[in-house]
Amino acid sequence: MSRDAPVPPTVGAALPAGGGSSGADRRTGCPEPGGVAAALLPGAGSTGSGEEIERPAAGFGAPAAGPDGGELGDEAYLAALASLAGMGPARLERLLGRWEPAEAWECLAAGRLVEAATTAGVGERVAHRWVRDAARADPAEIHSRHRRAGVTVTRRGSAGYPERLTGDAEPPAVLFGQGTPEVLECPTVTIVGTRRCTRYGADVAFDLARTAAAHGAAVISGLAVGIDAAAHAGALAADGAPPVGVVGSGLDRIYPRQNAVLWKMVAQRGLLLSEAPLGAPPERWRFPARNRIMAALGDACIVVESHADGGALGTATEAARRGRTVAAVPGPIRSPASAGSNRLIAEGCGVVCDIEDLLVLLDMERARLPLRLPSPDTRPASEGGAAADPATSAAILDAFDWMPATLEMLAARTGIDLGELSWHLENLNVAGLLARRGLWYERRAEGPAGASPGT
Amino acid sequence: MLARIPSAVLQGVIGQAVDVEVHVSNGIPSFTIVGLPDTSCRESRDRVRAALLSSKLPWPDKRVTVNLAPGGLRKEGAGLDLAIAVALLVVQDELTESAVDGCAFVAELGLDGSLRRVPGTLSLVEAVACDRVVVAADAYAEARLDADQEALCAPTLGELVRYLRGEADWVTPALPPPRELPAPAEDLRDVRGQPLGRRALEIAAAGGHHLLMVGPPGAGKTMLARRLPGLLPPLDRDAARIVTRIYSAGDFGVPTGELITAPPFRAPHHGATMAALVGGGSRALRPGEISAAHGGVLFLDELGEFSPGVLDALRQPLEEGVIRVSRAVGSVSFPAEFVLVGSMNPCPCGNAGGPGQCRCSDAARMRYARRLSGPLLDRFDMRLFVPRPTAEELFRGEPGQPTAAVRERVLAARRRAGRRGVRCNSLLGSAALEAEAPLAAEAARMAERAVASGQLSARGLQRVRCVGLTICDLDGRAPPLRGPDLALALQLRNNPVWLDRSYAGSHVA
Repeated sequence: MSRDAPVPPTVGAALPAGGGSSGADRRTGCPEPGGVAAALLPGAGSTGSGEEIERPAAGFGAPAAGPDGGELGDEAYLAALASLAGMGPARLERLLGRWEPAEAWECLAAGRLVEAATTAGVGERVAHRWVRDAARADPAEIHSRHRRAGVTVTRRGSAGYPERLTGDAEPPAVLFGQGTPEVLECPTVTIVGTRRCTRYGADVAFDLARTAAAHGAAVISGLAVGIDAAAHAGALAADGAPPVGVVGSGLDRIYPRQNAVLWKMVAQRGLLLSEAPLGAPPERWRFPARNRIMAALGDACIVVESHADGGALGTATEAARRGRTVAAVPGPIRSPASAGSNRLIAEGCGVVCDIEDLLVLLDMERARLPLRLPSPDTRPASEGGAAADPATSAAILDAFDWMPATLEMLAARTGIDLGELSWHLENLNVAGLLARRGLWYERRAEGPAGASPGT
Repeated sequence: MLARIPSAVLQGVIGQAVDVEVHVSNGIPSFTIVGLPDTSCRESRDRVRAALLSSKLPWPDKRVTVNLAPGGLRKEGAGLDLAIAVALLVVQDELTESAVDGCAFVAELGLDGSLRRVPGTLSLVEAVACDRVVVAADAYAEARLDADQEALCAPTLGELVRYLRGEADWVTPALPPPRELPAPAEDLRDVRGQPLGRRALEIAAAGGHHLLMVGPPGAGKTMLARRLPGLLPPLDRDAARIVTRIYSAGDFGVPTGELITAPPFRAPHHGATMAALVGGGSRALRPGEISAAHGGVLFLDELGEFSPGVLDALRQPLEEGVIRVSRAVGSVSFPAEFVLVGSMNPCPCGNAGGPGQCRCSDAARMRYARRLSGPLLDRFDMRLFVPRPTAEELFRGEPGQPTAAVRERVLAARRRAGRRGVRCNSLLGSAALEAEAPLAAEAARMAERAVASGQLSARGLQRVRCVGLTICDLDGRAPPLRGPDLALALQLRNNPVWLDRSYAGSHVA
């Protein structure tokens, strides 16, 4: 309500002041350097330039807001307010602390610049832009644009608003969604990690997400490249709970582009959520704010891989602050991509070493649903033809140690002809005794695919 | 006064007969060359004048017109110098018409009157429309190689005139001892470890299958590739004649003594331009590296570093075995049938493929992968991961089979392919493949699984069958293809590490 924060960036000010660890994110989160400068010198700004700016703004402002003010719901005004450039959750929160959404819009549309700037805690340059844009924009039009695009606009406190956010310390004032909101009635797990992931991290994220989804837990992630994408792909690969994507841009601004297919599939089969209205660009400051929503929505938060200064650590901090279970997947100590996640473990958060750990975290270990994975081919490999020689197969299996091995390594160990060896490996793979990943084969401890894990 | 002397110019690798007509009349002294000469051709005037004067022969201070017939054909290069000089001598009655009757001239002139070799002498000699051709002394061996025409040579213009006047006898230089192009001296025996790589080379040589090797730096990709030409059969006579002409015309190395029969090995640097690789050029249409590799191996090291446009230009010749180069100045076809061997690293850091070694991000790996277009990748019947050999293999590994032993198997396999009416299995059409490479029941099941799991496309299956047939041939067995044949062929068609996206998001489509 008042200008309480010494640093005025949009997101940071709304978050509790105690969170020192994500300070760097907040600094980068400032969308308007000019606004900061102006806000630091309030006296000079408001009297000097205020008058000049106010005059043309009032001229634009008068016609737009008046007529449809009474008919529109709060959603329309909230969507319109959120559409203003640089309107982050903190600024919006301050405006709504003083006014109803319609009143706040009225204030801007009417060109009451100084009043708005003081209330939102922004500089006059930002407020001037808001006033100018508000004069041109039509809340009814913005709202119907969302409706046409199949995007729901949910106000805090209304019926469709996610329950986990209702009791939150920093709940978004408005949420834009696409897909099936009922997904959030499942148990949820947030799986996050670095965009610059290794193959190991991506594999683990994929497997964890697939298992979680197969057991009925909705996987929440951020639809970024790397771990996020792998988690979503894993959740989609299972025939279970659909995934939830929480994104930083407007739901029509697919970012990053290479995840377009994944993005659409999540929207189709699960739920896409954003705090930003349609058309909002993927600005840097939106992502830390997005992280808090992911943290609040998940019953547990798992960091698969994170660099020492990764954004996933911010999500973990937010989750811990909200009392959610936080766990990390250990990685090689020499891998920079695991530096952050390993530090989380050192600081005492939970450890996910296998699928069971994840289920324990989610309090689902008793559920033990049969893992419903699409099984590609269960017929025996040698059906209708020459069978593989059991003695050779046994010799090949014996040649494995605890490390994965390539065809050439196995050929050197067993001395079997390359063709015969390939043929037997293929049969063992189909029989479920081996797993193949790229060029590498390894023995499967748990036996044929499709069986319940850990039984 | 008019004289007409036959000669020839080069178009691509083919010679075209050209008549040099010289007309001398009274008038203001001038010298004009007509008939679409290029710059080097037009500069003949100065070379010829200096050569005549330094050979103590007269230069006509009259109005001289040189016509190069046919007039519609562009003439490139300096190979017409000698013909112009001889024609000038004939119109000045320094030589009688009967002395030069039935004789063509193909050489460049030096200012001191010496005769020099022109590129493509072999093609030029066989193109001229008479029985005797005079060439420079250093082109004599080349001119005699494969043409029906009788080759004569002279060291200088002055000597040539004496020969033609009958004042001295033609001197035949001793042919240089047959000097082969540097034969691949590398033997497969030197390769330690790499059983799969060695097998892939054998299959590539026997079936003419293109091979992509992906592996970390220092794994031995180049070493393997250099050993492929030694496994290939020698060029047959037709191919040898073509390759020798290409080498002669493209100046890839002047052939001497005999036809080139060793399969060529060309390894252009990745900075190669389109014209250098596929042939062309803005003025002279030269054969490119892919034509120089005809019948042999084109090795593209660091495939990812070649410019994408240049690489994609390979697609058509890979399909058809011929490259058609069309430019404003004309259009020519060069033969280009070769085994393509590519090598590249699996990712920018080079270490992907092993567990936990690569430190590249997904994005970086995908950017790297994008340098090789899908259609080009599809042309590689075999994609092989070449790992770094372990210390064990390096120091205690047994030496593999020598090239000679493997080559025997390759030759036998090629003979089997020959009975199907093709030179090697990769040239079999899909209908022929269907008939020649039936699948045993267990192999058919395996193929069905591979296609159903999305690992293999329909076209991919065809190629795998083709490789399987070559494996069968190498083992000396008759089809049908057994499970192990197809299993190995499938192993050799691994998607490169960076295309194996079994984990990333993009496969959920």
